[in-house]
Amino acid sequence: MEKQKLSVLVLAVVFGGMALFPPFLLSQYWLHVMIISLFYVMMASSWNLIAGYTGQVSFAHAAFAGIGAYASGILSVFFGLSPWLGIPIGSAVSALLGLAVGYLCIRMGGIYLSLTTLGFSEILRIIITNEDNWTRGTMGLQVPGLFAEYSKTSYYYLFLVVAILVLILLYRLIHSDLGLSFRAVLNDETAASSSGINTVRIRIIAFTISSAIAGLAGGLYGHYVMLISPDVPSLGQMFLVLAMAVIGGMGSFAGPIIGAFLLEILSEYIRIYGEYHVLFYGLVALTITRFAPDGLMAVAGKFSGKKRVGVETL
Amino acid sequence: MKRMLILVALFLLAVATVSYGADAVKIGVVGPRTGPAAATGKAFEEGIALAVDALNAKGGVLGKPVEIVFEDTAGVPEKAASGFEKLITRDKVAIIVGESHSSSALAEIEVANRYKVPFIISEAWHDDITKKGYKWVFRAGPANSGVVDFYIAPFVKDNGFKKVVIVRENSDWGVGIAERTEMNLKRMQIPYNTLKVERESKDFYTELTKIKADNPDILLAYIYGTGLHFFLAQANEVGLTPKALLLDGAGPPSLWDTFWKNVGNAGELELFMSSMHEKVHFTPASKIFWEAYKKKFGKDPTDYKSRSIYNVILVAADAVNRAKSTNNEAIVAALEKTNLEVTTGHVKFGLKPGSYEYHQWMPPMLVVQWQDKKQIVVYPKEAATGSLKKGK
Amino acid sequence: MSEFLLYLINGIVIGVINAISAIGVSLIVGIMKVVNFAHGELFIFAGYFSYHLSQSLGLPPLVAMFVAVGLTFLVGLLMEWTLIRPTYGDDMRSLIITFILSIVLQNAALLIFGPYPLKPPALIGGATNLFGLFYYGNQRLISFFISLAVLFLIFYLLKRTWFGKAIRAISQDRQMASMIGIDHWKMNTFSFGLGAALAGVAGVIVAPIFPVTPSGSAAISLTAFVIVVLGGMGSLKGCIIGGLLLGLIENLGAAYISTMYRNIFAFIILILVLVIRPWGLFGQKA
Repeated sequence: MEKQKLSVLVLAVVFGGMALFPPFLLSQYWLHVMIISLFYVMMASSWNLIAGYTGQVSFAHAAFAGIGAYASGILSVFFGLSPWLGIPIGSAVSALLGLAVGYLCIRMGGIYLSLTTLGFSEILRIIITNEDNWTRGTMGLQVPGLFAEYSKTSYYYLFLVVAILVLILLYRLIHSDLGLSFRAVLNDETAASSSGINTVRIRIIAFTISSAIAGLAGGLYGHYVMLISPDVPSLGQMFLVLAMAVIGGMGSFAGPIIGAFLLEILSEYIRIYGEYHVLFYGLVALTITRFAPDGLMAVAGKFSGKKRVGVETL
Repeated sequence: MKRMLILVALFLLAVATVSYGADAVKIGVVGPRTGPAAATGKAFEEGIALAVDALNAKGGVLGKPVEIVFEDTAGVPEKAASGFEKLITRDKVAIIVGESHSSSALAEIEVANRYKVPFIISEAWHDDITKKGYKWVFRAGPANSGVVDFYIAPFVKDNGFKKVVIVRENSDWGVGIAERTEMNLKRMQIPYNTLKVERESKDFYTELTKIKADNPDILLAYIYGTGLHFFLAQANEVGLTPKALLLDGAGPPSLWDTFWKNVGNAGELELFMSSMHEKVHFTPASKIFWEAYKKKFGKDPTDYKSRSIYNVILVAADAVNRAKSTNNEAIVAALEKTNLEVTTGHVKFGLKPGSYEYHQWMPPMLVVQWQDKKQIVVYPKEAATGSLKKGK
Repeated sequence: MSEFLLYLINGIVIGVINAISAIGVSLIVGIMKVVNFAHGELFIFAGYFSYHLSQSLGLPPLVAMFVAVGLTFLVGLLMEWTLIRPTYGDDMRSLIITFILSIVLQNAALLIFGPYPLKPPALIGGATNLFGLFYYGNQRLISFFISLAVLFLIFYLLKRTWFGKAIRAISQDRQMASMIGIDHWKMNTFSFGLGAALAGVAGVIVAPIFPVTPSGSAAISLTAFVIVVLGGMGSLKGCIIGGLLLGLIENLGAAYISTMYRNIFAFIILILVLVIRPWGLFGQKA
């Protein structure tokens, strides 16, 4: 109980700090960086749900974010729907498509799943680029913001609240019976299915939830930057999300969170020297995957003398 | 919990970074340093270097040295908008200039409007950029309507072309300039056909075969990027050119280093838009630029975008100097009164809102043809250094 | 009618070249069960090598092509030894590592070779009048014949030589193969190198037609994957038939349905195959 109380206290301090200090201490620029980091926290954590916790490497995560963004964006531009309604709808659309894709390819697993999601992601990007009557293709779709008067602080709080809710949802999920099943499937699929777990159903559920979150994050992002382009559902974005989860530590809860903040903040520093941050992240991710496949969290864990058994929780 | 502490530490690190303003006047530049038009980024870099030299030699801006921050847009509107915003929030620039992609520019002007920061466009041609009427936005460069109405359309008419095929990429610029061209051709009753292509395509045989069936005598290629090289080379392979002439509606791709390597002999008799030629100097400032470029880089300037960015930086500096401050309202007021000699003429911005000519200055353009690997200006007649050669 | 013939020929020529690229992927998948996401990057690196060898070092084009392929082979060996081998057996990890590698190489290519498309000199210029109906680029024709020669060579290698038999043995049953004395670790490394070299062969054949750019590698990898899935993982015949089919569908589709959606046909095929018949036309049912 002591340990749990300590964790809760630290969490409260951190989140309390995040709620109070940034808008007052940070410049508009760094506030923007924080908001983007929170976007990636949602993306990396939800990708980690399927990749880290159920072992499915999906390359369609950025695509689902794009679906959420474009769905909400198109509804607001062409049908005058308020983004406050549009974003949840976008998330639902992503969830539905996630369910469909999941259902189609979960049975295959492994390489086939990855290739299907890759194909799906590219098909989506091509359709978005070409159907410029609806999406304005590469020219970008300008969409309204969420607040009548633009205020970075308002966006920051919105992203913070949603991110925290998403993380709580993911945490409860992983620690539930369902989550236990996820990890059982990850660790030993044959054993899991022979103990009665419907592995296919589990994975589809995880896939759907993760797509819904990606769609939500995408919608929020779109209405924050107020411009949606095919860059959102691109493999380049997918790589960033993957790198964040990998570097932070797949299969750990805090890993993607740390990865998201770390990479986003670092990229701002690196950008001063030119657009090398992607190369740099790639090299770091490569090194980590090769030598420390469980990411920075595992490395930190080693230093604090923790033992890791399979996939851990915090 | 070690992990949470890491989070907190990172957080404090971010918080601790406060940017202190340096004591120089900062001008921001936006342009594609990476992506399919990265060559333009290089041209911008050259122009920026020359402009900084020229300005600081004269004592800088407001008596302080001028500092340029060049932010990469990668040719993607999202990155363009966020880069633009960074120049304002992170680097605290007084004014921003540049851009060579219409789609990026259309995104950036929204940010300029939101933050009320003056923005001078150099080479994004879409009419809406100035037509939207944002008071913070100026353009000292070509606009689609200007390029088509005053140059491309009359060129087609005066040289007796009878059948036109328009090939346009899927970008704001491509769509805009194609539409304006169609409007003009309709008015002049010259038959035409329009085809859409992807900017990053590499294989155009299918499209070219369709075009050949039309039997055009001129192709207006509105493709800004290396796609143009492949298109031209393949048009030659299938025998479309040089019987039909090809006009590069943007211009720079026909001047990039790799042009001749990529197109080989297909480059002969190709036409392209430009605003720069060694024998055509619109103003004394143009000669000064040419000499300075040769001295600094050891070769002749080829990509006219290096000159465009040089121009707009000078315009910006001039406005700030006349405004005697970095206050945004003062700068805009000063810009509206601009009467400055740059390399392509005298900059004066239009002041009547309601059309693309608001806050717009249209520089003179040239239609150039490659003849024996030499640039020959073939239009307009007043600036021509030779005559148009048609293919067989 | 002559247009249809042009599209057909285009499809066949491109298809055959892509088949070689696909074999490069198929080989590695068959032997190591690893999907090499960095395939496209090896392809363009070979193109870049070929360009610099002939432009900067002045080697005759054909020699440059050979050397470029050799260099790519070595790069493949290096990649396998440092990165792929430790992930062997862990499907997810090897997938992730080759994906990351692909991104790293893409950016490295941009940094090292620059953003401009580079074209090694064509072996032969001009165009030929085919069937008296239309002109077709000579370099494309030469590339077609070179590709055919390469395919024959590969067939010979796999069906007649000991090495080929060893490869087929391993892809069918690794444990058995090692029991009869085949050093499957060395085979791994060599096969990966060979797969890389094939990517390189396709690269140097294509580069004089379509210049190489750092951003073009993803499309190349994806095309190869689609062909491999369509034809069936580990099937040589499948790669060739798959390559031809894809080439034809793409060209005819672009011509008669929509030029804008040219690139989508490949992906639609991919998804259809994965959903309806995941082991492809000629693959083994897992």
